[in-house]
Amino acid sequence: MFFRLLMESFRRQRRRKMLAGIAILLGTTAVTAMLALATTIGDRIHKELAVYGANIVVYPKADLLDVKVGGVDVKPASGGAYLKQSDLQKLRGIFWANNILGVSPELRVNQQAFPAGVGAPSVPATVVGLWFDHDFGGMKTGAAELHPSWKLEGSWPSLAGDASSWQVAVGEAFAKRLNLHVGSTFELPKDSQLANGGLVEAQVTGIVSTGDDLDSAILVPLTVAQAMANKPDAISRVEISARTKPEDAFARKDPDSLSPNDHEIWYCRPYANSIAYQIREAIPGAQAEQVRRVEQSEGNVLKRISGLMWLISAAALLAAGFAVSAAMATAILERRGEIGLMRSLGASKGAIAFLFYAETGLLAVFAGTIGYLLGSGLAAWLGARIFAGDGGAAEAVLIPVLLPVVVALALVVAIAGSTPSIRAALRMEPSAILREDG
Amino acid sequence: MAMLSFAGMLRRSLVHRRARSVSALVAMTVSAGVATALLTLYADLDAKLHKEFRSFGANIVITAHANASLPSDVLARVQQAAGADALAAEFAYAVATTDTGTSVVVGGTDFAAVRRLDSWWQVDTWPDPALADAALLGQRAANFVGNEHAVALAYAGHSVTLRGVGRIKTGGDEDSRIYVPLAAFTAWTGVGPSVIELQVPGGAKRVEATMAQLQKELPDVQVQPVRQLVEGESRIVDRTHALMYGAVLLIALTVAVSVLATLSASVLERRRDFALMKALGGSQAQLMGMFLLEALVLALAGVAVGFVVGSAAAWAISEGNFHTATLPHLSVLPLVLLLNVAIAAIAALLPLRVLRGLQPAALLKGE
Repeated sequence: MFFRLLMESFRRQRRRKMLAGIAILLGTTAVTAMLALATTIGDRIHKELAVYGANIVVYPKADLLDVKVGGVDVKPASGGAYLKQSDLQKLRGIFWANNILGVSPELRVNQQAFPAGVGAPSVPATVVGLWFDHDFGGMKTGAAELHPSWKLEGSWPSLAGDASSWQVAVGEAFAKRLNLHVGSTFELPKDSQLANGGLVEAQVTGIVSTGDDLDSAILVPLTVAQAMANKPDAISRVEISARTKPEDAFARKDPDSLSPNDHEIWYCRPYANSIAYQIREAIPGAQAEQVRRVEQSEGNVLKRISGLMWLISAAALLAAGFAVSAAMATAILERRGEIGLMRSLGASKGAIAFLFYAETGLLAVFAGTIGYLLGSGLAAWLGARIFAGDGGAAEAVLIPVLLPVVVALALVVAIAGSTPSIRAALRMEPSAILREDG
Repeated sequence: MAMLSFAGMLRRSLVHRRARSVSALVAMTVSAGVATALLTLYADLDAKLHKEFRSFGANIVITAHANASLPSDVLARVQQAAGADALAAEFAYAVATTDTGTSVVVGGTDFAAVRRLDSWWQVDTWPDPALADAALLGQRAANFVGNEHAVALAYAGHSVTLRGVGRIKTGGDEDSRIYVPLAAFTAWTGVGPSVIELQVPGGAKRVEATMAQLQKELPDVQVQPVRQLVEGESRIVDRTHALMYGAVLLIALTVAVSVLATLSASVLERRRDFALMKALGGSQAQLMGMFLLEALVLALAGVAVGFVVGSAAAWAISEGNFHTATLPHLSVLPLVLLLNVAIAAIAALLPLRVLRGLQPAALLKGE
């Protein structure tokens, strides 16, 4: 009998059910979309912020001081310390290895470049060995990935070709100085001792504009620079881009002064400081530091934007809650006549309330689920449209955790919205209701 | 007479069905409040975001050509060209030798300006501005200095002893430098400032305009953007802006449709009033006017309350998130008003199409 009442109510009163259903549907759609956007906004903005470059740098602990002004090495350090390229593999073993999004090692060699043509005077130049599209344990990474603001004409150099010719990319200013174009060649010494070994032809595959000191440098694959410097496996600096948690007061604590328990917590949070600490542990002789200009400001921007999204989601929740409960109240209010009739036919208050709550619940679950699906689709569509061209389309469209949350919210709001109306209708004399409605 | 009874009817309709009027008023207030809050936040969003990006520091670097110093009055001219809200700091550099015989870059600058411009510098104690011979040591440079409290430096035969007051930690080039006040630096080395770091707030367009202006006024210096900052800022602000736009539309639509459904249901419920008035000789136009007027009164009341509530919500959100207040924007009022009036008008008129076909007699009989 109860189920027949329930089914008939849905079958016969389509218009009334539709009103409440649409309200719940729209409300859950908006809330799901906002929550889905708010939960993914951190990653998306982080990807955008990658344009600012690495947020952690690693350099040899025993290194001499950089004597650089405006990006130019005034007094190049000779015989400095180096890190080992082979040690970079250890980065994959640290606790927050999955948060490392990009790795770019470099080795700088001061060299003479010989323009093509006999008798032309040599030009001092910095040769910078870098990774280009390097396969780092399944992750394609390298200098270009860590510097999305670099503009390249042509292509990055690769190791293809034989020992008599190297592929190089040159900075904009250097290219202008030597009048180089994509495809032209000049000569570089084979290694750091000019005396032994001859010159090797360098073929320009790309001209890069970086906006910093690399504009006047020669960019080569890392192994070429190592061969040139006679230092196989050596790197002088590593830039790392990691996904971090914005720094708070706890993050700034000195980990070695914390109690073992707090140390564990500190260690297991993806602060830039903790990741740097883990890198120092993993790579012998390395000093890792957060790049404060990038890390501090990024954290700030990230916090503000995701905070804004969460607050807007809260506002959406509130507004949708209001709208749904108002719609439910109206829908029940309209059916006072029914309540009066049922009561005069002898139904108990409890049975009537149960029937109405069951209807409301069914509607909330049904409309809430559809709203969840629509909202997820909407969020994915909006996200893809707004953050188009990030290459990060591989994220989940459906966030399963949201389904129970959204449906539960719809249930609570719908039941809360209909309660005052049901109670008011049950309190009234059945005869009064029936007479009023004629 | 007709007007009087119209107003009387309106008043009685609102007062007598108090519960229903209040629920309609709440619905209109919610829609106006949400619209006001979102539009107010939206109007302020770009300015707020650009302000956050100021923490990235300088976005324009002005340098003298090789081996030259900048003209002496350049800082004032730069500041004038860039506007009063731009931050600028000048730097002079020299390579000196420490007491342990290591070469180190020493920078002369105005600490107060740097502190405002480069908020990411982690300095334990900023030197007292009155202290003419204070020095800040980069955390790497400090390892190459024998006595951190009396820093002895030599440059081209001139030696100087400075009072080290603290360390700088940035993770960048600053870590291997020593910074001293510009006046002390120039007196010691005779080298003038060669770099001005300038931060112009407000995004790529303003930066480009300022750069063009600077290049025109100061033809003998190099003006360069810090490219990743300028590009990144525009991209992120644009995207957040678009996201917010989508959110505003979505939420406004949801609330509008729900409110519309609620209101039109409550109008539909008044079939009997409608039938009675028609039976007593009311014309279709009069009845429509009656319903419309009632809805509009509710809509206006909703806007009045909603604007206040929504502005307060926007203020709270922006105080909580951006730590700066967003004042009520009167400019969003027309749009909110339009939205609410449109919702009310549609909610009143939509059910009338259903009601028009009904026979008053049949309705009153209860069929």
